[in-house]
Amino acid sequence: MLTVALAVLSFLGLVVMLRILLGPTVWDRLLGLNMIASKILVAIVILARLMDLAFLLDIALVYAVLGFLGTILMARFIEKRGGI
Amino acid sequence: MTWVQNLLSGVLIGAALIFMGFGVIGMFRLRNFYARILISAKVDTVGFLTMMAGIMVSAGFSFFSLKLGLITALVLLTNPIATHAIARSAHRSGYQVKRGPMDD
Repeated sequence: MLTVALAVLSFLGLVVMLRILLGPTVWDRLLGLNMIASKILVAIVILARLMDLAFLLDIALVYAVLGFLGTILMARFIEKRGGI
Repeated sequence: MTWVQNLLSGVLIGAALIFMGFGVIGMFRLRNFYARILISAKVDTVGFLTMMAGIMVSAGFSFFSLKLGLITALVLLTNPIATHAIARSAHRSGYQVKRGPMDD
């Protein structure tokens, strides 16, 4: 079941990447980036469960925090037109 | 005990995949940016929560589940905030949707 979930998640990530490529506005691309980061986070957690490596969860935690910060900073950067 | 665990985690993970699939479909089906951002804020978070619940059930009562709970709490807090920041950025920058006959 977990392997199937991993495969489906990879497919969904590819489809969301299409939205990033052809999104009409810059916020669509940002939204797609946020969604793809969430998919990658779930994939890391599934990999940690499959291989029984608990330290991959630390990597997932750091990835979640960094993705959140990146999204917030990019949104502010666009909102202020070049300033933070 | 263990087959109940397997069945429950399988059902939860399948439901999570269905939720995430709906989120991706909605992202392409809806023509309006603010509708798309609504999909990302709600359906994706629900899919994440269900998936983490399924993996927690399959891992059992252990240290692994505790860490997983921490990640779930963090993402449950931060994902709506990130989506809100994107929507606020679009609104403050003066982005408005065009009214048309193709509005969903």
